[in-house]
Amino acid sequence: MVAADRVAATVLQGVHGRRRSGQGDAFWQYRPFLPGDSAARIDWRQSARSDRLFIRETEWEAAQTVALWSDASRSMEWTSGPGRPSKRERADLLLAALASLVLRGGERVRLLGGGGRSHAGRAGLTSVVETVSAISKSRSLPPNDPALPRHARSVLIGDFLAPLHEIHATVAELAARPVRGHILQVLDPEEESLGESNRHYTGRVLFEWQGDTSVLVPRVETVRGHYAERLRQHRAGLAAIAAAAGWTFLTHRTDQPPAQALLALWQALAPD
Amino acid sequence: MLSLGPIAFAAPWLLLALPALPVLWWLLRVTPPAPRRIAFPALRLLRDLPIAEETPSRTPWWLLLLRIAAAALLILGLARPVLGPGAGTAGEGTLLLVVDDGWASAEDWPARMAAAGGALDRAGREGRRVALLATAPAETAEPPRVIGPMPAEDLRSRLAALRPKPWAPDQAAALAAFQAWRTTNPGPVSSLLLSDGVEHSPSALAEALAAAGPLAVARAEAQPVRLLLPPLAEADRLRLRLQQLPLPVASEAVVLARTGDGRALGRAVIPLASGATEGEAALELPVEIRNQVVRLEIENNAGPGAVILLDERFRRRPVGLLPSVEESADAPLIGDLFYLDRALTPYAELRRGPLDRLLARPIAVLALADRPVADGSEREALARWVERGGTLIRFAGPRLADHPDSLLPVPLRAERQLGGSLSWEQPQHLAPFPEGSPFAGLAIPAEVAVERQVLAEPSPRLSERSWARLTDGTPLVTAEARGGGRIVLFHVTANAEWSNLPLSGLFVQMLRRIVALSAGIQGAEGEAPLAPIETLDGFGRLGPAPPAAAAIPAAQIEATVPSPRNPPGWYGTPGQDPSSIAYRRALNLGGSVPGLRAAPPPPPGSALLGIGGVPTERDLGPWLLAAALLLLAADLLIGLRLRGLLRPGFALVAVLWLAQPAVAQTASDPAPALATRLAYVATGDAALDDVQRMGLVGLSDFINRRSATALADPAAVTPGADDLSFYPLLYWTVTAEAPPPDAAAVVALNEFMRNGGIILFDTRDEGSGEGFAPGARAALRRVTRDLAVPPLAPIGEDHVLKRSFYLLPDLPGRFSGGQVWVARDQDRANDSVSPVIVGGHDWASAWAIDARGQNPFATIPGGTRQRTLAYRFGMNLVMYALTGNYKGDQVHVPAILERLGN
Repeated sequence: MVAADRVAATVLQGVHGRRRSGQGDAFWQYRPFLPGDSAARIDWRQSARSDRLFIRETEWEAAQTVALWSDASRSMEWTSGPGRPSKRERADLLLAALASLVLRGGERVRLLGGGGRSHAGRAGLTSVVETVSAISKSRSLPPNDPALPRHARSVLIGDFLAPLHEIHATVAELAARPVRGHILQVLDPEEESLGESNRHYTGRVLFEWQGDTSVLVPRVETVRGHYAERLRQHRAGLAAIAAAAGWTFLTHRTDQPPAQALLALWQALAPD
Repeated sequence: MLSLGPIAFAAPWLLLALPALPVLWWLLRVTPPAPRRIAFPALRLLRDLPIAEETPSRTPWWLLLLRIAAAALLILGLARPVLGPGAGTAGEGTLLLVVDDGWASAEDWPARMAAAGGALDRAGREGRRVALLATAPAETAEPPRVIGPMPAEDLRSRLAALRPKPWAPDQAAALAAFQAWRTTNPGPVSSLLLSDGVEHSPSALAEALAAAGPLAVARAEAQPVRLLLPPLAEADRLRLRLQQLPLPVASEAVVLARTGDGRALGRAVIPLASGATEGEAALELPVEIRNQVVRLEIENNAGPGAVILLDERFRRRPVGLLPSVEESADAPLIGDLFYLDRALTPYAELRRGPLDRLLARPIAVLALADRPVADGSEREALARWVERGGTLIRFAGPRLADHPDSLLPVPLRAERQLGGSLSWEQPQHLAPFPEGSPFAGLAIPAEVAVERQVLAEPSPRLSERSWARLTDGTPLVTAEARGGGRIVLFHVTANAEWSNLPLSGLFVQMLRRIVALSAGIQGAEGEAPLAPIETLDGFGRLGPAPPAAAAIPAAQIEATVPSPRNPPGWYGTPGQDPSSIAYRRALNLGGSVPGLRAAPPPPPGSALLGIGGVPTERDLGPWLLAAALLLLAADLLIGLRLRGLLRPGFALVAVLWLAQPAVAQTASDPAPALATRLAYVATGDAALDDVQRMGLVGLSDFINRRSATALADPAAVTPGADDLSFYPLLYWTVTAEAPPPDAAAVVALNEFMRNGGIILFDTRDEGSGEGFAPGARAALRRVTRDLAVPPLAPIGEDHVLKRSFYLLPDLPGRFSGGQVWVARDQDRANDSVSPVIVGGHDWASAWAIDARGQNPFATIPGGTRQRTLAYRFGMNLVMYALTGNYKGDQVHVPAILERLGN
């Protein structure tokens, strides 16, 4: 949580969002009375100072709900080396940092698959982190959340190595709600390059994953190109799914600094 | 058995597996290594990838090479390769080992035994039966005979029991033995003849062996066979003579003159040119020193041929003195014998008395001072004595001038006076001594002048009989050889009446030279039997006579050739009175065996081998198998590493664990000062250190049981590295390869000895252990060169070491009969406690106790008594180290008690 706060603070400095008039308590601006405005909105005290009528506008304070989800499946626990964070650690860190940012911006945070409650206010970060930590095992895709408000925003963080059609179904269901969202794929560098610079990934290697039939690769060096092509196709599919739903698709590697991905996510959230 | 140069294989059929190595290569290539297992979440992406090649076999080439090498080593090791296999045993059937074990083979006996043992090993591997023929007669005087045939292992003990004999091989008898053996063993036979390179007697043994089957002759080409001949006694020197088989390079032999107790008194170097068969050198020793020499030996040459025992003929010569008038003979300054007595006393044993009594005992020189010899029996007795080798010195005088007799070298004419009141002539001085005279080289003092003399009848032979003349040419000393002896006449008196010659130092020197020329006593000659007292063994060491040794008639000792019945050594009448030593005669190899001739070349067709070139054969099999195992272990580690199963930390731990025992061993006792303990010097040879440790454990155990001493476990120390001050006694086994201690060790050892520590040096080759550790004595010299070792002497009968706890007559260990050396008694430094004890009895082996509490090493010659005595010596030794001269002080106890009583 401390790391998440620190990462969020580095992002917050350059971005000031949500400055517009709307429902809220804080004063925003005075504007001249226009025909069609309700007479009840006229600020008489201000209007009395001149000949014209003014309407007092307050800052928009309608809280948006941001639905966050990080993949907590087994494959996220993997890391290629002891000095490198696992994908889940990185995903949780990004999720917490994003939650911190969102909560500071006054929005509400909702965790998909997290028990259906929303968190708000600065103090909400603690409960967000607790809930994330409590989600030990989960599916590799977000569960359906019927209580999710419409027009909410969602951010999905995971490795998204599941078959494309499953991902498509999930995203389509969310987009139909309608919910706009962002997909962040977190991968280990060895997963991305099939251990190009790692001497363990040479020669005859038996690749295995729990419960899955293992794959024997006689010479890893020879299949590296094919693997890169497979991965590129998979990402293209993900990007296509996101574009079809009006979502954005981002990638992140665990050896990159987390602030980079956080900034990209924050900016993707910011424009509206 | 398959031989490839210096390597032979005992199981060569296994080498057939070597061509299978390429198959192994192929198999290793087609059988891929076990894949490395990697967990990988993106497995789905990898599935159904198009795989280009299914033979990935990228086992690294060096790993492949490693495995092939391991397999090759395994095959070679199982084929039991042997480095330097027993040579010259080609052929079928029985192997006959013919060993020359005469006196000439002692020098390189261990190398010979190693060569024979190698042949035996090889025959054993091939399953051949072996027979042994030693060409010299046995100690029991049995002629040579063939032992066997029998399995090689059974013959090994027979071979080990073989010792060089101090006499020549009897090759004719050996040939007869061989022929007799062939009649009962007509099967195929091949022979290995270990020849000593000397032709002792013409024989066709080698030809007979070659005719019977394949023959290999092994000879030590580089080893000189040397025979020391009896020296010639000259006036003031011993002329040493040496025979040897010609060597291609020039060399030299060092001859040491030793006393009866082993001290070296003189040293002479005999240069030997290349190809020379004889050499000579003079050993110059003052007569009084020379008289103590009883043994000449060639340094660093073992064997009875390198030893000459000097008996009485080379030693003190008794001189009888006969005056004309017995009563006035010793009158100061004017007596007949006054000057003679004083001149000869320091150098010779003087005897006085009537002539018949003098002649009754052996006597070398008789000096008659102006005493005419009566006709009849007296003259006959004297003449007979001179004929037999006596030296008769006569001095002129008034009586002799009046009554000349026949026992004179020249006829006498008259007496003349020079420089008297009635003469015109002046006293005459001495002319320089002529060449060939025994006096040649003596300086003539100018003041010596002759006033009166007797003149010789001029004759053609006068000049050659003159040993000294006056300046006018008249002879002063004449001499004539008669039979084995000689008559010398001084033409002046033995007192200062006629000349002042007796007053000068020249007189003393002239007499000494004449006495030294004399033949020495041959008194006991006759048919009286001389029993063997001490005889030389095959290594040239004196010891008790073997049972078969018999007495020799005194008159025949010159003509006796050493044999089992008459081994070389001392013969005489072992008398009750000390003077009987005068009747001791020496029988030497040199001079009695025929001259050295090189053995004829081996018969054509026989293989010629060297002795001592190749060390004893060595089984390489275990080493190769160990190397193969190491390689396989390395391969295992590499395989684990390649699969990523081996982490560096684990490897480090494994290596540390392997290295731990070595570290633990070298760690020294943390608290050596907390208990008294014995210590030994670590030699670096693990087996030997183990023997030393077992020995000191056994001794400590014995001492703890028998005395109030409480010794802890012994410690191994390295001088210079460990603090020696905690140990009372250092046991130091000196091996032939022992390096000299470095500077730090020398400082530590000298400090140790100065502060009262005792070092026991053990060379393990003395007494019955002779030849067990060749080179150890040279190593001892090397090791102790820089140490502050005090002058040493053989241990005395009453030395404290022999009575500090038990009363011990001798100090046996595993071996017995050698000499033990300690610091001289006169050395008062360190309270007369010897800081060094030197011996070669291998005590540690005698004391040793193994894990089962038994003694792993048999004593030699053997018996529980010897081991008990060895332990008792150890007890005395430790008591000596712990209490110093305390027991030595006990001799004063009666005096102290007496004083207390008063």
